[in-house]
Amino acid sequence: MLALLLAAFLPQGPDFTTEVRPILADRCFACHGPDAEARRAGLRLDVAEAASATLESGRRAIVPGRPQDSELVRRIRSSDPDRVMPPPGEHDALSEAERRILEGWIEAGAEYHPHWAFVAPQRPPVPGGDALHPVDAFVRARLAAEGLSPSPAADRATLCRRVHLDLIGLPPTPEELESFVADDREDAYERLVDRLLADPRYGERQARRWLDLARYADTNGYEKDRPRSMWPYRDAVIRALNDDVPFDAFTIAQLAGDMLPDASIDDIIASGFHRNTMRNEEGGIDPLEFRYLAMVDRVATTGTTWLGLTVGCAQCHTHKFDPITHREYFGLMGLLDNCDEPEWTIPTENLLAQRAHLTAQIESAWRELPAKWPATDKDGNATTPMAERFDAWEAAESARAVAWTIPRPSDWTTTLPHFRVLDDGSIFASGDATKSDVYTLELPAGTQPVHAIRLEVLPDENLPAHGPGLCDYEGPKGDFFLSEFEVHANGARIPIAAATDSFAGSPFASQKRAGAANAIDGEMSSGWSTNGEQGRPHAAVFKLAEAIPTGVPLTVTMRFERHYACSLGRFRLAVTDSDAAEARGHTALVEEALTKPADAREDAAKLLVERRFLESAPELADHIQHIRRLENQLRGGTTTLVMRERPADNRRVTRRHHRGEYAQPREVVAPGVPEVLPALPEGQPADRMALARWLVSGEHPLTARVTVNRHWASFFGRGIVETLDDFGLQGALPSHPELLDWLAKTFVEDLGWSQKALHRLIVTSATYRQDSSAGASLEARDPDNVLLARGPRVRLEAEQIRDAMLRAASLLSEKMFGPGVRPPQPDGVTEIAFGSPRWNASQGEDRYRRSVYTFQKRTAPFAMLQTFDGPSGENCTAKRDRSNSPLQALTLLNDPMFIEIAQALGRRLGASSTDDQTRIQELGLRVLSRRFEPDEVEDLTAYLAKQRTRLATGSLDAATLAGSDDEHAVENAAWTLLARVVMNLDEAIVKR
Amino acid sequence: MNPNHMAWLRGITRRHFFADCGVGVGKIALAGLLAERTARATTRTDERVLPPRAPHFRARAQAVIQLFMAGAPSQLEMFDHKPKLAAIEGKPIPPDVIGDQRYAFIRTDAAVLGPQFRFARHGQSGAELSEVLPHLARVVDDITFVKSCRTDQFNHAPAQLFMNCGFAQPGRPSLGSWVTYGLGSESDDLPAFVVMSTGSGISGGSANWSSGFLPGVHTGTRFRNAGAPILDVAPPPGADAALEADTLGLLRRMNERRLHVEGDPAIATRIASYEMAHRLQTSAPELMDLASESQETLDLYGCKPEEASFARACLIARRLVERGVRFVTIYHEGWDAHSQVAQNVRGNCGKTDQGCAALLTDLKRRGMLDSTLVVWGGEFGRTPMVEASAVLGRSQGRDHHPNAYTMWLAGGGIRQGLTYGETDELGFHVTRDPVHVHDLQATILHCLGLDHEQLTFRHQGRDYRLTDVHGRVVHDLLA
Repeated sequence: MLALLLAAFLPQGPDFTTEVRPILADRCFACHGPDAEARRAGLRLDVAEAASATLESGRRAIVPGRPQDSELVRRIRSSDPDRVMPPPGEHDALSEAERRILEGWIEAGAEYHPHWAFVAPQRPPVPGGDALHPVDAFVRARLAAEGLSPSPAADRATLCRRVHLDLIGLPPTPEELESFVADDREDAYERLVDRLLADPRYGERQARRWLDLARYADTNGYEKDRPRSMWPYRDAVIRALNDDVPFDAFTIAQLAGDMLPDASIDDIIASGFHRNTMRNEEGGIDPLEFRYLAMVDRVATTGTTWLGLTVGCAQCHTHKFDPITHREYFGLMGLLDNCDEPEWTIPTENLLAQRAHLTAQIESAWRELPAKWPATDKDGNATTPMAERFDAWEAAESARAVAWTIPRPSDWTTTLPHFRVLDDGSIFASGDATKSDVYTLELPAGTQPVHAIRLEVLPDENLPAHGPGLCDYEGPKGDFFLSEFEVHANGARIPIAAATDSFAGSPFASQKRAGAANAIDGEMSSGWSTNGEQGRPHAAVFKLAEAIPTGVPLTVTMRFERHYACSLGRFRLAVTDSDAAEARGHTALVEEALTKPADAREDAAKLLVERRFLESAPELADHIQHIRRLENQLRGGTTTLVMRERPADNRRVTRRHHRGEYAQPREVVAPGVPEVLPALPEGQPADRMALARWLVSGEHPLTARVTVNRHWASFFGRGIVETLDDFGLQGALPSHPELLDWLAKTFVEDLGWSQKALHRLIVTSATYRQDSSAGASLEARDPDNVLLARGPRVRLEAEQIRDAMLRAASLLSEKMFGPGVRPPQPDGVTEIAFGSPRWNASQGEDRYRRSVYTFQKRTAPFAMLQTFDGPSGENCTAKRDRSNSPLQALTLLNDPMFIEIAQALGRRLGASSTDDQTRIQELGLRVLSRRFEPDEVEDLTAYLAKQRTRLATGSLDAATLAGSDDEHAVENAAWTLLARVVMNLDEAIVKR
Repeated sequence: MNPNHMAWLRGITRRHFFADCGVGVGKIALAGLLAERTARATTRTDERVLPPRAPHFRARAQAVIQLFMAGAPSQLEMFDHKPKLAAIEGKPIPPDVIGDQRYAFIRTDAAVLGPQFRFARHGQSGAELSEVLPHLARVVDDITFVKSCRTDQFNHAPAQLFMNCGFAQPGRPSLGSWVTYGLGSESDDLPAFVVMSTGSGISGGSANWSSGFLPGVHTGTRFRNAGAPILDVAPPPGADAALEADTLGLLRRMNERRLHVEGDPAIATRIASYEMAHRLQTSAPELMDLASESQETLDLYGCKPEEASFARACLIARRLVERGVRFVTIYHEGWDAHSQVAQNVRGNCGKTDQGCAALLTDLKRRGMLDSTLVVWGGEFGRTPMVEASAVLGRSQGRDHHPNAYTMWLAGGGIRQGLTYGETDELGFHVTRDPVHVHDLQATILHCLGLDHEQLTFRHQGRDYRLTDVHGRVVHDLLA
């Protein structure tokens, strides 16, 4: 029956697309398909020329028009277990009908057609012209061909509930419902649709669908599963969908927003789409292995989301069914690969203003500092006057200060990080760090002997936590761990006599201070760290046991080794011929100033010296603490994970990985797209931006089809192509191919990729507005509603269920955006995860926020959402399961959160002064968006009466059941119990 | 009409029903189904969420109890006796032995650490165990020890997922899910796949018992240690049995009415799921009520009825299997001995040894061991080399070792008193009869009458299986 619509000109014999290829793909391609490595007998059946070529054996698998001469036919007809195809045990045997299809097809000429989804859609004519809504025209043409007729329109209340749930994810309030039902204007429905499309709740509902694909979560996943700040990404998606950013622009921002000229803040945030991959912070992992696994996820997710192809299948070998080779897979990876993955502090106007304010505060605090000099100490004794103390300090420190020279390194090597020398002679390291990094720097020969080497570790706002280290997982953010510091000259290792530091941090729970002396002890497991002082400069001074004479270049080697990557991000080396150098905690500028006589210092230098004195004076310690706190706040701000394209001189090289394994990199693969799809646009670099533009060029055969199909499924519970994530050869064929293509073309060319316009188009069709109940004959004829002779009837998604109940009880908060919140859930849910974290439920309004704002912990998802098939954020999800389990029943019946909701409803109804009938109807309107039928009212009334009696007589404890103890407890409890019943009806969690 | 198909339909979704049966059968089945359901709408039905399904071939085991020793126990302190390590303690292992093995914490030149405990042979089989397993020593003749286990992963979360799901990233169905998918459940009143944990949290998290791309009903059900075992199984405070009966009765009546009006079989499934929920509310407290166990049994396990412990979880596992539950996993976390391996192993054995041995003894004396497969082990083993780090405050520990470690199996279909596989004199590599994680998975499925190559599920155009494209049944382990 599909064939009727798919092929206008059927050749004699079975249809290739609908009948023949599914058999070949399912039973033959695994060994006789695109994958050359898996191919047996040199036979390939997915390409016409190859299938009819003469094989090594001299035979031809397919001789078009002559089944009797075709080896394929002989094999599928053979009774010899060694010859019959498919081989017994490996694949299901062919049925007689299937054999006849293959024979019939060969007899008719064995004609191949390209796979429908790889051919760009053409806009088909709308059947019957303009007489009907185009969606209805296509659907009804098909229904007519099947001898079916459409269902009548759903009643207005049902339709109102349906379109509310679909567009904004919430049922209508009783008032909204009544007002729509009473609205007799001709365009009342269209007005309702427009109102819903403009409702900010629209973005919250639609964003959740996108977040499934984006595998969004608020934690990193794997063992530690620590929280991450990613909610700005979620919020940006909500904003974009509310603003109806066209899907082409949306796509470009998601994949390459950071690369846009004049990228807006939301563009850069949107580039976090592929930062939603998991991050393993388990001690001792290889960070590059898990980066590779994240890349694997990115390729698969890109395939699912935009291409509707199971690209991931080509990770280990050429795709068994679709024409995507193993190399092409890594070509796609190459397009996405050339990026660094920073945690970005979002420079909102608010933040910039805050920083300006802080900076001013800090400056004025410094200025006021001298005036704070205490006259007496805490015991009441007079202190030394400031000027006197300064003179003594200045004299002592000047005497100790040494002159340093900052050489520009002549050359360097690193394990992986990429160096850039900055104007101040410091070095900024970016790119990939590993668990064992080595930096080797060549310093040119100087004009003086070298007695000591200073290593400054410097802050930089482009480093995690502003540095100085590159550490951004497992260990303290922004930390470094210098295991060993070595010096070579004249080919010999120069012993280091002593190492001093301005600060020794303690990066480990053992609380041992990790000082610079650890970096010269020959022991790799010990080292120097400045953890705790992130964002501040520090220095270590390494005093050589013997001076390196003038004119001898030297080599500095720094080793960073831990069970996590912790190399330096920004640092500077200096040398001195003084043999008295030590780390005194001065910055380089202060020390330089101190080497000069006081009257030779410039004003700026003087100020630095003075402030350095004030900073080190114990008399002012409390005030300095205050300034430190302000300075630390400067590093604050909301962060989010984004992409950043790598600099041209540090492009990442993508290799093919044999069998898809990280540990087996092979030849370099150029970035590119599979040959079966259109070529990348010429004249621009093959990068993320090129990929994004290619996907939404409008000529792409897949993107628009895949996208409209996913939207369609969100309304009808089923895609026109049922396999939302697979448009390849193993995927389902479209039930309404022309409708799909019409929608795809219309979406791109007429609607300008507007998602709201597409939604409007779909929900204004009569097809969407049909009654959803199926008579027995229709249910038997088309149980999955493929033909659309009725409206959709599907269980709500997890978030819709919770949100609908909250709204029914008038509890739902309208607060939008912000960090994830923790609605109440039973004890013991998150405790199963590593480290047994507690779930401290939010208080107040945050208990009742929309579910899209619920904190998503990957290894222990919010129980209610998981029970109703919500995703964990561990994989890209195009299509959720819709299971129906006893645990769902238990959740709705007994979960404290739902009891709390029922109690809120109970209080509301219990406090009402209207009669029972009215209140029962209000309950129906709130929870089911309809009035109860008389027999239902009778049942509900009887239940209510019975429980009321039991509550009143004390046979049931009213205060406990109502959740509050007051004079209304009996009434409240009775209505709570009735609300609980209605909330548990199948209908309450169904869109119909 | 096949009654199994009927029940299957009720339990899962229409989509699956038709996928399984083909549309032709579906049409007929559905028409009949509606009529039938309408007819007996008010009677208690025999509907099951996961009806039992026939295995591929004769099953030796009906149920599995998986004792997952999360964190990775040290085989060198418990099972794999390597005196040579004591002889060369303090010296590094030759680089050619180490090859390109990667480690989490230690450097490959770390020194060897000798066994921390004395070993002795036990039972008729002469199985070698260390002194920290006195209880297990008494039941060694029921056990097959596999000393030649190997895995691909050396980090906890990926390795735990690999052991459970055959794949090191989240998203694939777990062993327990595959088993209930293949065999359904024998129990009407309890979940088919139950997960317990008595420790400090599990590295891989809930992905370890996820149904992955299988239908959601195959997800393992967590049993909590405190409060009602199943989330939300307890009625709300203040509710009594009469109220719950009224409530569920009214729900059923009203749902049935909608079934008549709307004709959607999903409503019938919803009704059935509330029935099972109701049964769970009775069966779960009954299950957890250990008062019916004799003092002798409690003493055998060494557990207190009200106190969560590994041993109590073992006893509950027996009770679950007795009631038809198909797959039980008990996690005991805390084996990750990066420091003080002796203390770690002694402590964890103190918590688990008696429970493990009691479980085997108890199953055996009740005639259940023949049909219950018990699998003990962690996600990988531990290094022959010492882990020590001044800055981390670690000493006398062992790092992760994926190359060779020990697991044991007992009961349904497994040989008794066998020690299988060998490692080299350093316990570094397997030298005989390697058993890869995928082989173990294939063997477990085999014991249950399932062919790991046939137990597939089509997802994204591909037939997935637990063992990916690997795995072989280790027939040597089978009785």
